Amino acid sequence: MPKLTLDELRKKREDARKSIYLREGDFTGKITVHLGTCGIAAGARAIVSTFLEELEASGLTNVVLTTSGCAGLCSREPMATVEMLDLPPVKYVELTPEKAKRIFREHIVGSTIVAGYALGIGSETGG
Amino acid sequence: MAARRIELMLCSGTGCVAGGSFRIKKALEEEIARRDLQGEVSIVSTGCNGFCGQGPLMVVEPEGILYGWLDPEEIPSLVQEHFLKGRPVKKLMFVPREKKEPVPLLRDIPFFKKQTLTVLRNKGLIDPERIDDYIARDGYVALETVLTSMQPEEVIEQIRKSGLRGRGGAGFPTGVKWKVCRNEPRTPKYIICNCDEGDPGAYMDRSVFESDPQSVIEGQTIAAYAIGASHGYIYVRSEYPLAIKRMQIALQQAREYGLLGENILGSAFSFDLEIREGSGAFVCGEETSLIHSIEGKSPEPRQRPPFPAQVGLWGCPTVINNVETLANVPVIINRGADWFSGIGTETSKGTKIFSLVGKINNTGLIEVPMGMKLREIIYEIGDGIPGNKKFKAVQTGGPSGGCIPASLMDLPIDYESLIQAGSMMGSGGMIVMDEDTCMVDVSKFYIQFTNDESCGKCSTCRDGSAALLEVLTRITNGEGRDGDIEFLEELGKAIKDASMCGLGTSLPNPVLSTIRYFRDEYEAHIKQKRCPAVVCRGIISSPCQYMCPLHTDVPAYLTLIARGQFKEALEVVRRTNPLPIICGRVCMAHCTTKCRSKEGGDAIAVRELKRFLTDWELASGELPESAPFPRKYDEKVAIIGSGPAGLTAAYYLAEKGYAVTVFEKFPVAGGMLALAIPDYRLPKKLLQMEIDVIRDAGVDIKTNSPVEDVGAVFHEGYRAVLIAVGAHKNRKLEIPGEDAEGVIDPLTVLRKVNLGEEVPALGNRVGIIGGGNTAVDAARTALRLGSKEVVIFYRRTRPEMPAIPEDVEAAFEEGVKIEYLVAPTRVVAEHGRLKGVEFIRTKLGEPDASGRKRPVPIEGSEFVVELDSLLPAVSQDTEIPAGFGVEVTKGNAVKVNNETLMTNRDGVFACGDAVTLPTDVTSAMAEARNAAELIHKYLRGEEVKREYALITPSIRVEPIELESEITDTTRPLMPRIPAERRKGNFDEVELGYIKEVAMREAARCLRCDWEVQKMRERAREQEIGVEA
Repeated sequence: MPKLTLDELRKKREDARKSIYLREGDFTGKITVHLGTCGIAAGARAIVSTFLEELEASGLTNVVLTTSGCAGLCSREPMATVEMLDLPPVKYVELTPEKAKRIFREHIVGSTIVAGYALGIGSETGG
Repeated sequence: MAARRIELMLCSGTGCVAGGSFRIKKALEEEIARRDLQGEVSIVSTGCNGFCGQGPLMVVEPEGILYGWLDPEEIPSLVQEHFLKGRPVKKLMFVPREKKEPVPLLRDIPFFKKQTLTVLRNKGLIDPERIDDYIARDGYVALETVLTSMQPEEVIEQIRKSGLRGRGGAGFPTGVKWKVCRNEPRTPKYIICNCDEGDPGAYMDRSVFESDPQSVIEGQTIAAYAIGASHGYIYVRSEYPLAIKRMQIALQQAREYGLLGENILGSAFSFDLEIREGSGAFVCGEETSLIHSIEGKSPEPRQRPPFPAQVGLWGCPTVINNVETLANVPVIINRGADWFSGIGTETSKGTKIFSLVGKINNTGLIEVPMGMKLREIIYEIGDGIPGNKKFKAVQTGGPSGGCIPASLMDLPIDYESLIQAGSMMGSGGMIVMDEDTCMVDVSKFYIQFTNDESCGKCSTCRDGSAALLEVLTRITNGEGRDGDIEFLEELGKAIKDASMCGLGTSLPNPVLSTIRYFRDEYEAHIKQKRCPAVVCRGIISSPCQYMCPLHTDVPAYLTLIARGQFKEALEVVRRTNPLPIICGRVCMAHCTTKCRSKEGGDAIAVRELKRFLTDWELASGELPESAPFPRKYDEKVAIIGSGPAGLTAAYYLAEKGYAVTVFEKFPVAGGMLALAIPDYRLPKKLLQMEIDVIRDAGVDIKTNSPVEDVGAVFHEGYRAVLIAVGAHKNRKLEIPGEDAEGVIDPLTVLRKVNLGEEVPALGNRVGIIGGGNTAVDAARTALRLGSKEVVIFYRRTRPEMPAIPEDVEAAFEEGVKIEYLVAPTRVVAEHGRLKGVEFIRTKLGEPDASGRKRPVPIEGSEFVVELDSLLPAVSQDTEIPAGFGVEVTKGNAVKVNNETLMTNRDGVFACGDAVTLPTDVTSAMAEARNAAELIHKYLRGEEVKREYALITPSIRVEPIELESEITDTTRPLMPRIPAERRKGNFDEVELGYIKEVAMREAARCLRCDWEVQKMRERAREQEIGVEA
């Protein structure tokens, strides 16, 4: 890859926003599994696999699965954040593959938050 | 009809019949017959229970457990588990549907609400392995700004103005460090990121690498630009594989984009970074050792100055910054120095990341503004201590830091106040400790760590830490000596003074700060051979034996029960307890408070098992032989009061060979056992049997014999007197109107009932104030006497009630109601006669210095309850006649020297309620045993002084071999007679365990003592081996 100039970096910033902000991208859902050491130790890799299997089985193409670092509340890992267009983001805690399956089917496919597994909705920092 | 232990209320409503309740009934009858339980369990068909959707249904009385969706096939196992083994079957129990509550907003959850995300701004939001994600969230904007519009000096000035200080722990101003390096004329210069995070319990830096590595690269690049470095290192410990991997990916991606390398973003500035993996020596976190490590030398510190900013890596000017410091840099550039310095305190600006770990509900990584109070971190962000335990201290700064006690909960967390408190910021580990943490053990842990990690260069650090460790190990083994504390303090200061690097100069901090705040704990270990937190294995053989005031060898007798050796088990009990029948019924069971079986299950039912033994003995008719102890000495001893303290002291003095006379002012012996505890808990007949044992041992008990004048007793030829009177005087509520007619002393009621005298009429509506055993007994007695509505008013909540929990349950079954969080404010009277009581609602407020939440009245929440009588049972006092001639406290307790139990009057001793005010049976008995020992010393002319010794097993009992692992961790229910059969009589409520239940429960003991016994045996063998 050629080195970026200042302008190219700025352009890249605009483009990159589409891949992390739902409203600016061309996908309708995003699942972020928190893969810090704490999450991995608590079994987060199995959660990634489960979401991946569900995603493939569902044939959905407008939902992305991504990973991120520790979400802070290490005692409630594994955690995942689910964002769907027109719904507030939801943080799910203490996940198991079974819970992940249900979240995929009810929240991602069915647009209904699985209240029993959710820690909270919205963003952490207000706004 | 004989009382059946269990009643099954089987619903025969239409719904349940349709669901098959007749088949259930048949299956139950068959199984009960097969198990030969007809005498124990009866089946009652009831009308519709109302929960038709869960049918067929059955309620098990007296526990009130509801089983739903019953299936005939499940009945055999249900009968076996619940009725035979006493373990309710959870999977068949009806569970109320979980309440549907709306999902809260994340920002309303205190854990998130109180945080200020600066360094952790991208936490959980970006993919750390995609540089584009970082860029999309304004990544590298700061580098753009710096490279296009700022001179290096301007960057340094911004950082200096912001007030940013090193986040590695020491807190040196970052801008100053950069400036020193910038001003050095020599080149090349280096910038090093220190990610050698080694404090136990700290993982902030690892997490930043794992979740946002680009922020560190950007910060380090800006730092390089500012100081004029073209090459940098990232020093990270090799135990962080994920952090290293993500950083490698991040570096690769930054290079591909030209954000590292030649002519970054088309500017003249070139810079690149490489990773150096440290091998995990703690000292490498120290900057000069870290430099040696990168240079390939052995990681030992060197003397400073010159500082690395002047002479660093390869002899060149070098800045070493912590991960978090560097990650702050882009934010300061983007948002300005003023914005940053607006956060935090006068001297400590910005935010700090802490890893909040230990005994705290929310474990995790938090970022808070500097100056936040410890209280907010522990109780709001951390959501308090698990299991409602007391918060004791928080350890900050790892092995270099110290412990901050709960009394400093309002301390603002910044660099200076932590130092003042004897700790330090350190890299940000925050280990929360609860009441179950021993501070001496904690300080031993840290010294063990630093002793392992000392590089060995300075003898003060190398040998000093070893000397500290040796003394701490002795203390935690119960072998501490006078002067140990002073030695630790002196040596600690010397190590601080004479060591070269931060490791040595700070390693005594954990010891010095715990001595500063918890000196009494050190003293308890050294002088009394006690570990107040019940932790040190060198002192505590088993928590049960240790916690029992009598130090009864619980593990030994439990194992003997599990083996069916009941006689031998009871012999072990009697070694330390002359009143096992009584204690098997009314003991507070201190032994269970720290039982290790509570971790993931119930404590072993020790009191119930002791009762089983005495039940077995009574049933077997094999009562132990009793004969008077032989007289060895001429001296006579007088004991005033025949309660548990008086009886116990009398027994042990008789055993020693003295003539003992007990003077009791009431017509019956037994003190509070006979007068305050109703028959339904402790039948008179059984109490009498045990008093007879004491009598048979040769003790003369004179009832109806009040003592008013101790001088007269000496005159009769007694050589020593023990005051062991009970607390019979009810304490007043100190509220207006309490002298009204209808406000009745609960102890008088209990006493009259116990003596068979006429009891004042209580009326239909009875109110009780208090939460102890007297309150609960007053309530249960009122119901038995015919009152219709009995309510206990208690100012705290159920977990805080001091009454025996099983008795509170029994009270509920009988219909006693409890109003929590209320306190009486005045008695409402008419013509001098009680009409009702005004209460105010309370809430549990802020925890006090001890960490317990105190009840605080809620203004304007007063309400009046109409009552026919009020029984205030908040506490009791003793009445010490002036004729005793002994000094008393303000609360009218006898003053004694705690080491001798002697009063100000020669030869007059005191113990039990008389000294401590209302205490419990076993505590009173334990002090009485000590009193007997001290009186013996007094009479023999020896020095009267309490002796402290390690508590050790009394007998060697091998653990049982289990046929299969015990997976059930619950204790069996105590069978009780059904609630409706308890009305109008004082029959004993608890029925006791059957043999099978008792043996199975005893087998559940974990035998904590065994490991310690084996350890000591091995140590002894080794000793002998060496000598041979």
